[in-house]
Amino acid sequence: MGCDTSRYAQVPREEKQRLFDQVTADERFGHVLYGCYECGICVATCPSARFYDFSPRKIAQATAREDVDLVYKFMNEDVWDCSQCFSCDKCPRGNSPGGLITILREVAVRNGLKTAKEALEGYGRIIYKIMSTGTQVAPDMLQPSAFPDWGPHVKEISENLPWWRRALPPETLHTTESSWDVSEKTLSELYLIWHMTGVMDMIQEVDEGLHMILMDVMEEKLEEAGFDLHPDGED
Amino acid sequence: MPSDRVLIIGGGPAGIEAARNLADLGIPVTIVEARERLGGMPIHAQYAALTPDLEDAETAMNRRIEPLLGHPLVDLRCNSAVTGSSGTAGDFRVRVAVGGKEDVVPAAAIIVATGFQHFDPGRETQMYGYYEFDDVITLPDCEKMLKEHKVVRPSNGQPPECVAFIQCVGSRDRQIGNEFCSKVCCGIASKEAIEIRQQLPNCKVFIFYIDMRMYGYWENELYWPAQEKHKVNYVRGIVSEVLKKGDRLVIRGEDTTLGRPVEAPMDLVVLSVGMEPSKGTREMAKLLGLPQNPYGYLDTVGVPLDTVSTAVEGVFAAGSCTGPADLEDSISAGATAAMRAAVLLRKKRAGAEARG
Repeated sequence: MGCDTSRYAQVPREEKQRLFDQVTADERFGHVLYGCYECGICVATCPSARFYDFSPRKIAQATAREDVDLVYKFMNEDVWDCSQCFSCDKCPRGNSPGGLITILREVAVRNGLKTAKEALEGYGRIIYKIMSTGTQVAPDMLQPSAFPDWGPHVKEISENLPWWRRALPPETLHTTESSWDVSEKTLSELYLIWHMTGVMDMIQEVDEGLHMILMDVMEEKLEEAGFDLHPDGED
Repeated sequence: MPSDRVLIIGGGPAGIEAARNLADLGIPVTIVEARERLGGMPIHAQYAALTPDLEDAETAMNRRIEPLLGHPLVDLRCNSAVTGSSGTAGDFRVRVAVGGKEDVVPAAAIIVATGFQHFDPGRETQMYGYYEFDDVITLPDCEKMLKEHKVVRPSNGQPPECVAFIQCVGSRDRQIGNEFCSKVCCGIASKEAIEIRQQLPNCKVFIFYIDMRMYGYWENELYWPAQEKHKVNYVRGIVSEVLKKGDRLVIRGEDTTLGRPVEAPMDLVVLSVGMEPSKGTREMAKLLGLPQNPYGYLDTVGVPLDTVSTAVEGVFAAGSCTGPADLEDSISAGATAAMRAAVLLRKKRAGAEARG
């Protein structure tokens, strides 16, 4: 993970500072970053650091030092190498580099950074599945075309999915279309949560098409629940 | 009959503490102080606040000094010097000079508490341009400005916007010959950095270090608050040189943990100079025949379990004349030396009485 920020030299300093200020203004910020010893325990525990040129330490350090150029670089690139497992919470100073990365990612998404859109592009289908059905990735999504980065093994898994499912010890409803059953009530509550917590706004920033499709799917249930989708009287 | 008096050379924190304890035990003391008043380096060098609790240095020291002034058992001799000594433990005869006059003080024991001096960064190699650039100063220079609440760039009298501390100047350096760690500079630089941030909230402060040595409570009382509350920036990597660019300074170094070279403009550079034995410490070593370590500090025998005995029976050493020490070390050693001196004095007296 390099510290070369020259790629973003043309981005105005004010813009970098504006995003940095959004990070530090986040109400969680004071709980995820105190000060950094630069001891490296977060890197030592980090699974991503074993596979990528990735260092949660440098992200914490650059943020603590208020190095807005470097933070901007990290916000555009490195934060997407984190798997958000929070192994780095082992920090003796009580920092949570993973929590800091959560905030950095959210600022990147809320501000519609091109790099955030690119990083999340491949997840559109997963987000659609989770948000529209309230369940996680369904077995029938395990197709080589959906996960080209998973290697040749995914092809093997994608074949004979119903039999794989039946072989699993837990109750799998003998279906490959969903992971588990989600009740109607739960689903409308989930839809309300997506809307009221600003998740839908974030999705609109990074993927307008996905946002439109989700709105279509959710509209009826939200209206039934009495949620005003168009408070400003727009169509 | 042997003397019942203890002679203390040096009226800094260690000497003051030794005198206080002995006087409280009812033992008369003579304090020989080279400067015009008691207090040692915190007073002489005009420290702003003590480390680590940031209490005003003068207030804190005066609290210790005042009970000694006019105390019936304390014979205080400022502006004076020890010029010679003869005799042995229990019966020393110490020559003390004030102005042109010399006087012989009989003493059962001697406590040497002659302290340290700040490393002079110009002495060897014009380090970091201390004598070249007005805006390169040292920790004690910065203390004086903090005490006045007037931290400015000496070159133009304006408050700095960017300050860099460089650690380990004159310490941990084989080339200079000071291979030891001066022990207090990490804490003091952090303390000064906090004070600068308090006095000049818009000033950015960087500390370039090799390792931060913030032992014990200095960790949570100085280092953490400096970083977390006062937003002092710690960068691991020692500055190699300070250059002049326009009317500012430029520091060059490596940010070792981010793995990149640093070249940054600064308005003020503070050199965290370490400790060296004071001139008085070196002189007393020769005069009293006390062995010195390779760095010139007084050797104590029996460390770590005996911190104050020297090779000469009846002569004890306390405080930073024996090596880099913080205030707590100096106070502890001063009290220990007082106790050893009192024990020696009582033993000698008991022996004399037994002999009749």
